[in-house]
Amino acid sequence: MNKGDVWPLSLRLVHWASAALVFAALGLGTYMVQLVHDPAERFELTQTHKSIGITVLALTVVRLCLRILTNAPKPEPAAPLVLLAAKVAHVFIYTLLLVMPLSGWLMATTTPVRVPTFVFGLVELPYPLSPDLTTYRIAHTIHAVSAIFLASLVVLHVAAAITHAFLWQDRTLARMWWRRSPAA
Amino acid sequence: MAQSSQILSARNTRTYRWLVAVCALALLPFAGTGEANVAQGWRIDEAHTWIGFKIDAVGFPKTRGHFNHYSGKVFIDFDRPAKSFTSFTVDSTSIDLGSQAFTDFVKSSPLLSAEKYPTLSFISTQVEKLDSRTARVTGNLTMLGVTKPIVLTVNVDTDPSAKGRAVAFVATGTIARSEFGMTFGVPLIDDALEITVKTRALTDE
Repeated sequence: MNKGDVWPLSLRLVHWASAALVFAALGLGTYMVQLVHDPAERFELTQTHKSIGITVLALTVVRLCLRILTNAPKPEPAAPLVLLAAKVAHVFIYTLLLVMPLSGWLMATTTPVRVPTFVFGLVELPYPLSPDLTTYRIAHTIHAVSAIFLASLVVLHVAAAITHAFLWQDRTLARMWWRRSPAA
Repeated sequence: MAQSSQILSARNTRTYRWLVAVCALALLPFAGTGEANVAQGWRIDEAHTWIGFKIDAVGFPKTRGHFNHYSGKVFIDFDRPAKSFTSFTVDSTSIDLGSQAFTDFVKSSPLLSAEKYPTLSFISTQVEKLDSRTARVTGNLTMLGVTKPIVLTVNVDTDPSAKGRAVAFVATGTIARSEFGMTFGVPLIDDALEITVKTRALTDE
């Protein structure tokens, strides 16, 4: 079964689903705040953005559980510094995948302009805290700064994957792809 | 016994009629202020009526909306502007912000509470002519069950194509929504709410 050769199917699926959703949430978040000046459109897009973010949070929790419950494949041989850098980057990405949606949720909860969040128009998201402008401003800063960090890490992550696959021609990307990938 | 009762009844009827006549005469000088009387002859042109608002917020585009259902009365006396008046009743559930989700939110309880307060109304109490094209209209606005005086500046434009029988108005004014109990989002959402009513009054006279 080539155990340890590739990531478990569940983790591969969650990885790519998360990747798509993170691209969507970062892109939509930036677009709606920077470029959308129509209030109705901004309102609708914010609902979608929050729905995507909460899904990322749920997927990340599932993913961390899967990481604990399953075995990760051994890293491809590389310089210790590269392995360390990869480890650090991955830990940061996981952390930000929690911090981003949690700070967003905190914003939605503590804003004095509290708008109910219906995740994809279906389930109402609970708001555990009371509105508080100071907490909202802190959460907003964390959310914005984390977005820049996460976007930078995504670029780094993609660049690293490309480097592994095409420059170093190892199986790092293939392990996250399908077994008979052309890159394998 | 029956006869005396009939006499008494007839006397009462006469007394009643007399009282009505006196009261009617006494009220005659005030008849000009009663809407039902003086609104005759002027009507609101619904095709040229728009009731809307604007509100600014921090980190959110300026929000504009309007109401689709309303009824209004207007009476214009060019010779005695102070005798002019207007009143509008707006169906608060007919608010439209250009998106269903956004509209539903603004209709809900922290803002318009449209289910509990289905109408917004304005009744003018004073009309002052400022110049040939501008008037200041003071009146009572009722929102969220709270009635407060507000002041609107009205631009008046007589439509030349209608030979003076159509008068266009653009009324604008800013209210502090918190005075009506609408405190949601202050200060991130401005307290100042700008109201605009564009309308046209027609008369056949």
